[in-house]
Amino acid sequence: MDHSNYQSDYKHVGQPYSRKDAQKKVTGQAQYAFDLELPGMLYGKWLLSPHARAKILSIDTSAAKALPGVKAVITGEETDILVGLYMQDKLAMAKGETRYQGEVVAAVAAVDLQTAEKAISLIKVDYEPLKPVLDVDEALDGDILVHEDINELKHVEGVFFPQKDSNIASLNKANRGDVDKALQEADIVVESEFSLPAVAHAPMETHVTIVQADPYSNRIVVWSSAQSPFALRQMLAHSFKISESDIEVNIPFVGGAFGGKAGIHLEPLATLLSKAANGAPVKLIPTREEEFNQLPTRAGMRGHIITGAKKDGKITAVKVVYDWDSGAYADYGVNVGKTAVYSGIGPYDIENAAVVSKTIYTNKVFSTAYRGFGHLETHWTIERQMDIISQRLGIDPLDLRMKNLLEPGSRTISGELISESSGSVKDCLAAVVKEIGWTGRKTEEERRKEWATGKVRGKGFAVLQKAPAMPANTSTSVIMQMTGDGRVKMMIGAIDYGQGANTTMAQIAAQELDLPIDRVEVVENLSTQTNPYDWNTVASKYTFMGGNAVIRASRDMLRQMKDIAAQVLHSTADHLAHGGGYIYHIHNPERRIAYEQLALGYQYPDGSGIGGPLISHGVYMADGLTNLDHETGQGKPALVWTFGAHAVDLEVDVETGSITILKVASAFDIGQVINEKLIYGQICGGVLQGLGSAILEGYKFSPDNRLLNPSFTDNKIPTMKDMPIEVVPIYIENPQKNGPYGARGVAEHPMISVPSAVGNAVYDALGINFHVLPLSPEAIVLGILSGKESILCTDVNCLPGCY
Amino acid sequence: MLSRFKYLKPHNLTEAVQYLEKEEKSFVLAGGTDLMILLRRNLINAEHIVDIKGLPEMAEFEFIDGGGLTIGASVVVNTVVDSEVVKAKYPALHQASASLASFLLRNRATVVGNICNASPGADLPPALLVYDAVVNIAGTQGMRQVPLHEFFTGVKRTVLQRGELVISVQLPDPGDGDKSIYLRQARLRGHDLATVGVASRIKPDGKVAIGICAVAPTPLRLFALEEKINERELNQETVEWAAEEIKQHIRPITDVRSSAQYRMQMASVLLKRGLSHLITKEDNHGSS
Repeated sequence: MDHSNYQSDYKHVGQPYSRKDAQKKVTGQAQYAFDLELPGMLYGKWLLSPHARAKILSIDTSAAKALPGVKAVITGEETDILVGLYMQDKLAMAKGETRYQGEVVAAVAAVDLQTAEKAISLIKVDYEPLKPVLDVDEALDGDILVHEDINELKHVEGVFFPQKDSNIASLNKANRGDVDKALQEADIVVESEFSLPAVAHAPMETHVTIVQADPYSNRIVVWSSAQSPFALRQMLAHSFKISESDIEVNIPFVGGAFGGKAGIHLEPLATLLSKAANGAPVKLIPTREEEFNQLPTRAGMRGHIITGAKKDGKITAVKVVYDWDSGAYADYGVNVGKTAVYSGIGPYDIENAAVVSKTIYTNKVFSTAYRGFGHLETHWTIERQMDIISQRLGIDPLDLRMKNLLEPGSRTISGELISESSGSVKDCLAAVVKEIGWTGRKTEEERRKEWATGKVRGKGFAVLQKAPAMPANTSTSVIMQMTGDGRVKMMIGAIDYGQGANTTMAQIAAQELDLPIDRVEVVENLSTQTNPYDWNTVASKYTFMGGNAVIRASRDMLRQMKDIAAQVLHSTADHLAHGGGYIYHIHNPERRIAYEQLALGYQYPDGSGIGGPLISHGVYMADGLTNLDHETGQGKPALVWTFGAHAVDLEVDVETGSITILKVASAFDIGQVINEKLIYGQICGGVLQGLGSAILEGYKFSPDNRLLNPSFTDNKIPTMKDMPIEVVPIYIENPQKNGPYGARGVAEHPMISVPSAVGNAVYDALGINFHVLPLSPEAIVLGILSGKESILCTDVNCLPGCY
Repeated sequence: MLSRFKYLKPHNLTEAVQYLEKEEKSFVLAGGTDLMILLRRNLINAEHIVDIKGLPEMAEFEFIDGGGLTIGASVVVNTVVDSEVVKAKYPALHQASASLASFLLRNRATVVGNICNASPGADLPPALLVYDAVVNIAGTQGMRQVPLHEFFTGVKRTVLQRGELVISVQLPDPGDGDKSIYLRQARLRGHDLATVGVASRIKPDGKVAIGICAVAPTPLRLFALEEKINERELNQETVEWAAEEIKQHIRPITDVRSSAQYRMQMASVLLKRGLSHLITKEDNHGSS
């Protein structure tokens, strides 16, 4: 990729600098939680439930305890530590009952991993297997409750809404206009159902955690491969009913996360083990199999959509129900479900809309945040439906979208006004269809001709939107200090787990302070003891929020330098400017002082000093947001929308079903490129991850809900060889007025709507509408062999209205 | 990993087979790419690991004109991939080898290990089977030879007895005018087990040989199908017929990797494509 195509007007913002940590990572010097060894450290291992749902009748740990080298053995019977995030529904270990195959039933700490594993093999558990809740349909029947105490579960009230005597962890909804009336008055009504399975995050480094918990005080020290140190600290404090200040969370380099390491995971279990082992540090290293089976996934989802449109293509009504299979616990799943409400009809201006989103308990491995936070799933529903509507109406899918997309003056389903500053989804769509040379769908005759060759080309596209899904009062902060030689070190509250925050924040500071990029550094290896607060490193919000905080910290620092320089230069701060590492007088630039002369305070020739070490800070609060009204879904949930579009050119082998992705063009209205090289990396990675969901990935369960593919042998993710032949990134720069230099986030967006664009291109190629992901070679062939449109539709109880 | 084992690196073959006979829970280590998974997942309880990489017999990798190719038990798959003689004389074996797992694994995994692991979906057996490969086995009672199509007895099962060790696999020289191809279907381009793999060969005398994996408890040589094809004139029509007929000769199962229906369909498609490619190649030769 030639990164010189992109031109920036700024000295540092927009420059394609390499990652600050690139050299450390490629030379293997970067230390991850996995690499850490502490004096006296023990290794933990756990026993997992083999049953999706079972009563624990008894646990015999005597042989494990007697094994030499074993320092602690614990079971759920001995503890009541709750670790729920938004719903207090999960214990650190199963107690009395197990709710998914892979749930921790007992755990040990021993002098080495082999001894720990041996001890686990000696624990005897007597289970009484119970009939599990297999899927969302069984869950909605409600004959068996995954959580019998659902009516009593503590939760964040007014935001999440568990339903009485049911398996619904939260039901969220939004309403705009009069949907039923509009459907009656529509020229056509199209009803469809789409679904996709749970998939794994599959970070390179699993959820490695070390905890040292003092048994004689409340003090807990954590080293973890986690995304969100401050959220982790808060939740751990809540779980153990101690003060946040008792807890120290250290995050070294993190080997990938993708949302799976947001929140709190193995830290409570490691804490219990460390306490039981008399305060020795205990390290937990999930194997790859455990990462699939024990740790959370992206939820499976089913979207049922009814759309009404006029003959001219104007969409007048949409009614969607999203059923999320969140597995045994709600975790971030309920928040995904909530997000699906205010973002649940895609970037369209539809006068009458109703969305219901249910986060549902089943006896499966539980779900959590995953790059895209529900948007890949909802857009699979919305953007495939748009294509089907265009087929029904005989309108080009490009024209149909252009007629209905949000534009300045439109309102979203939650009532937010879209302005010029919001970015333009239309610009994105126009750019990608141009890039793939879209001239309309292929005719039946063209298709037949190509079919005879065994390979059929297809083109398709889809739009997307996402705003950060976060509490209305989300905030972040930055501390900036200057060294004696005029270099800047920043401490931020976010984790750079690959997205490049440490590099982009340095660029923004370098731009503000007008310093060479190598004189600005974000301190690596975050500790909650020293770094300032950030809510969570999630939601594609950090470039926007962190960037604004860094601008404020930089300006604060400049102000401090000018205040001192004004005295030295016998002027006022208002008459001073900065540049090239100097504070200088605006009328006489030769009257100047170098930053380093101010860094630790200015020293006069007689040796006396004024000022002092330069320390500044910057905060950013997402002000202006509100919670959503429970009945109508109206409110202001979105700090900033980022719009985008993908267009795909592909080829289907009609005999084997294999899809070759020839080209993906991806456009995002990011307002301002901060670092083209990093964005290009995000786009390539996101597109490939999206292709994984599109054509490859998915959890498979046995008839009794055991995970059938708990390893990379059969739970595949795409490799370098699966990259599209060409990925064309397109940056649209309609500035966001309140963004740093006009920028918006774009971390999750590259994977959203990739499956939708692929599904639409497959329709163009084959004339078959697929409703179920993944579009594996097998699914394609069986779809073709069925001889009718969408055999797979029947797999999800296809309704008469859908093909 | 729960296994705690003794590691032995024998100096000669006799020591190796005697040890394997003496110690019941002993396992052979060559590339280790299958063994390590079994150990790590606690699917076996190993008390002894016998590392055969130091035995000189195992390193043999030689082609003799008129005699054929010998691949010793410690020869790694990438050695076969890189071999010019394999590329020229045994193209299906070259293609199967190049498609096995990933480059890194091929640096460790051995050809003989791929046979001895006896996975129904192993990539190399179909290609070896169409070349009438013979397995050379050493035991405490001496040497024996078993044709590869008699070597597999079930899923992960072979004719090997306790105290026996495969030294090499041997393929006759196919002679001039021999053609072959290995085609596989997988879930992605990156490394994956074959959903179905088919090796097709047309011998210099015009007779067809077909090897296939992942459609039965063991990799198969489809002798009965070959016989029926060989009764006919080998042209596109026969190829189309064979692609249907193959469905009578395999019994694929549905598992986490694929449905039986898709495997059946892929066996048909891959055979059709393989044979079509080979007969088209012949036509090209004829016209040039």
